[in-house]
Amino acid sequence: MPDDPIGSVLAAFREEAGRGVGSRAEFERLKGKYLGREKGLVPGLFAGIRDVPAGERGAFGSRANAAKQEVEGAIARLAEELQRREVESRRAAQAVDVTLPGRFARRGSLHPVTIVRRRVEQIFLRMGYSIADGPELDNDRHNFELLNFPPEHPARDSQDTFFVDRKAKSPLLLRTHTSPVQIRELTRRGAPLRIIAPGRVYRNESVDATHAAVFHQVEALVVERGISMADLKGTFEEFFAAFFGRPTKVRFIPTFFPFVEPGADVAAQCPFCSGAGCPKCKHSGWLELAGSGTVHPNVLKACGVDPEEYTGFAFGMGLDRVALLLYEFPDLRLLLDGDERFLSQFAREA
Amino acid sequence: MKFSLEWLSEFVDTAAAGGPEGVHALLDRAGFPVESTEGEGASTILDVEITPNRPDVMSHRGVAREIAAMASLPFSSPPGHAGGKGQGEGGGAHVTELTSITIEVPRLCKRFGARVVSGISSAQAPARARARLSAIGSKPISAAVDATNYVLWETGQPLHAFDLDKLAGRRIVVRKARKGEKLVLLDGVEYTLEPADIVVADAERAVSLAGVMGGLDTSVTASTKNILLEAAWWDPPSIRRTSRRLGLHTDASHRFERGADPEAIPDALDRAAAIVIESAGGALAPGWIDARGAAWKVRRAALRLSRLRLLAGTEEIDIEFAASALERLGFVLGKKSRTRVAVTIPSWRPDCSIEDDLVEEALRVYGYDRLPSHLPPATRPGGHLEPLRVVEERLADSAAAAGLFESMSAPFVNRKTDEGAYAAWLAEAGSGPEPITLSNPLDDSKPDLRSTLLPGLLDAAARNVHHGQREVALFEVGRVFDRAGDPDEPASFESRRFAFAISGETRTHWSSSGAKGRADFFDAKGLTESLLSPWVDPAELAWSPFSCDAFGSGAAALVKSASGHTLAVVGLVSRAEREKRKLDEDVFASEIRVDAIPAARPARFEAFSSFPPIEADLSFGNDKKTSWSRIRETVLAAKPSDLESVRVVDRYEGAGVGEGRVKTTIRLVFRSSGRTLEQDEVNREVRRVADELVARLGVTFAASS
Repeated sequence: MPDDPIGSVLAAFREEAGRGVGSRAEFERLKGKYLGREKGLVPGLFAGIRDVPAGERGAFGSRANAAKQEVEGAIARLAEELQRREVESRRAAQAVDVTLPGRFARRGSLHPVTIVRRRVEQIFLRMGYSIADGPELDNDRHNFELLNFPPEHPARDSQDTFFVDRKAKSPLLLRTHTSPVQIRELTRRGAPLRIIAPGRVYRNESVDATHAAVFHQVEALVVERGISMADLKGTFEEFFAAFFGRPTKVRFIPTFFPFVEPGADVAAQCPFCSGAGCPKCKHSGWLELAGSGTVHPNVLKACGVDPEEYTGFAFGMGLDRVALLLYEFPDLRLLLDGDERFLSQFAREA
Repeated sequence: MKFSLEWLSEFVDTAAAGGPEGVHALLDRAGFPVESTEGEGASTILDVEITPNRPDVMSHRGVAREIAAMASLPFSSPPGHAGGKGQGEGGGAHVTELTSITIEVPRLCKRFGARVVSGISSAQAPARARARLSAIGSKPISAAVDATNYVLWETGQPLHAFDLDKLAGRRIVVRKARKGEKLVLLDGVEYTLEPADIVVADAERAVSLAGVMGGLDTSVTASTKNILLEAAWWDPPSIRRTSRRLGLHTDASHRFERGADPEAIPDALDRAAAIVIESAGGALAPGWIDARGAAWKVRRAALRLSRLRLLAGTEEIDIEFAASALERLGFVLGKKSRTRVAVTIPSWRPDCSIEDDLVEEALRVYGYDRLPSHLPPATRPGGHLEPLRVVEERLADSAAAAGLFESMSAPFVNRKTDEGAYAAWLAEAGSGPEPITLSNPLDDSKPDLRSTLLPGLLDAAARNVHHGQREVALFEVGRVFDRAGDPDEPASFESRRFAFAISGETRTHWSSSGAKGRADFFDAKGLTESLLSPWVDPAELAWSPFSCDAFGSGAAALVKSASGHTLAVVGLVSRAEREKRKLDEDVFASEIRVDAIPAARPARFEAFSSFPPIEADLSFGNDKKTSWSRIRETVLAAKPSDLESVRVVDRYEGAGVGEGRVKTTIRLVFRSSGRTLEQDEVNREVRRVADELVARLGVTFAASS
């Protein structure tokens, strides 16, 4: 037994603890060596008290207790220190530069005309309409004749037509409007009927910023008992209010389409300037958006519907121009160009 | 069409109508929108848009009649009007002694009126007539020509003046042109005519193309002394056909093809004669020739109060109002009661024939803005959607969610040059060998309608690349066309397609740079599978290598449904198709036949196992030519019990793997629906699978396993 076991244990401990612990394993070894219940050096001091002369046992005991406290205190501090270092290194391991770009799956988008078309469809679906469809390649009979365009009528001039075979009995053509869907649906389903027919139409015109040879319309047809111009007006007021998100004044002025009588051009009070006049409405306060009217009796008859029993209204509206007004792009040609710099601007709309 | 406010004032008090602004508003309300105005006050010129059904409004008198009717103002003929027949007539020979008119085509020329003015000078038209013509942009020429133009713009009736002395036999025959007959018109151009054209001829030859333009030889010149004034009614479709065929659109043809007023002829002749004589002197031969073809009908219609109120949607309007509105517009009232009025339709209104036409007239005057508005009452539920549209929308939504942008393109192509490379695909997709070809295409180099969306989509992809886009991901939903259809069912010529094209850095991220971020075949394949998954389980799609010039050899696949229907093509776009568009980067494209997609199976709950799975991986070397589908089939053919799934988890080629070989790792997942599996039994099954792979496909396992 050394002369001063307490002193040498403490000295050894101070030296070892002073070097610090690099890892949890080292710490556990140090802690076990000095404080281990079985073989720990500090508990060993208390076991050695039997070998101390009786007179010195009191002083020895209090010195051993002080040593124990010192060792325990130092171990606790090491434990704390170790814990702190461990947390720190875990943090460092999982730390990321949160400002780096995320692995973001780019969102695509629908075409602006599709977006506008769907908005229009949703509004009419809510009003009890069904959505119908018809062929883009149609014949003269459906595109003109049954819509009350007589052969060689100048009204056909306003709809420059792409013909496939001009000499055929009813030449095939690219439809110039969605109105042939009226004929097909009314003939197939009869009255009462309430449909819209969105789709692509074609006009043989030279293309520029405001004219397209390929564009899109939505057609509406309601044939029921007692349908009047008032129903047509009310429907447009409801539609524009829903579409522009606020009550919108509607203006009807007489016009001519062979398949309606009376016929009306429909303008909405410009929602962008509330009618005060702005570049979008060419300072007129009004946006001309649709052609409409009550269905001509000849059209109803051609579809096998008795015009004395049923009346109806119909309208057609261009979607491309509405998209242009709504999204404020400058040139209709952007719609058919497939340019992602353009198309990507509508992702949040879809 | 341009109209002078000052000229209109001859027929209606434009000041009382509110001056330029008032007239503008009244015409808008009448359905003749004023597109622009020039000048101020009385010299205001209005540019008015006139619908093709209203030839009667294509004159100052016609516009004035509308203004008067809309504003409830009196409408009058001008005081200076030549008026009754005979006014201004000199002595001398009666017109029938000077010339004669024969109509050989009575249905195409219902009326031909003529007057003769003898001994005119070469003076210009009266100053006021010239000023008015100039104001609306019509260039003054000579007294006789200006007089006819003046009357056209005043009354809407086109006229023509012949130099009577140049007419062979001094007579006129209205007939069909002879095949190949030549005629030099006032524009100095020689036209070759066809029997469908109507001509005004003299004893020998055609001297004027009826209703379109006069001939040069018999036109009025400075030396003309005696003129024959013509005012006629021509069959509108004939005039339109001739005018369109020859590309000759004139003020006269514009009106005749819309329908002139046969009753306007006598007044128009008198008026023109009076204007000629006013400045160029001469004597009007007594009498006029009124040659008749087929009779024109006096048209009558009746308006019921019930119909008027039904279409108007209001009880506020009555027969009294409608009758007075119609009267103001020139309709002659017949029998009238509180519930009905009969009218004779004016001869200048070819657009009117039925009751609903009268409703429109009454409502125009009433004002559409005064009509009430309400929603039509609900009658029965709507909301039906066309089934294929639902499919298209779902495809579009999936594609947009997957990061693609919807593109649209015009369907005009050249089948040969644009779609030639797609022939194998078109055949698989059911397109006929003949394209639909337009007879009047926008661009002669692209006369055909597309049979596939892919070329248009690749063009769009190329445009994006060319302006520096590093990543391109586009899709299009649209129709394609071909000749294999039934002309009575035009829908049979078209079918619906969905196509996409992806290229470049589709998965680009700083953490995985380089080639890893570039689009490849499996992006395109996965997207196709995912797009089709609402209708077809990807596991049920059959993928087979497909050879088509538009796709790279060995890098394209045809996709079929379980029932063997071709659904899609997917592949690497061929070098030729890319070079054509100057695309260096690989492009992967797919086209889906929307109308071939089978109906979706409704979802039904299937019980799932609540016992744990055991996974086992097998790594082996196999011939590169052994397809994954064969490996998979071989695994399944071994019928391992309780096998839940098998998938490929890794493929490795390169160092350590022999030439032409590939190291494949597959993962087998076992799970029982009734109990927890033991590792031993799974091991037995895995060994069986491994033996089967060795025996049937010659795969090799590393010695250690």
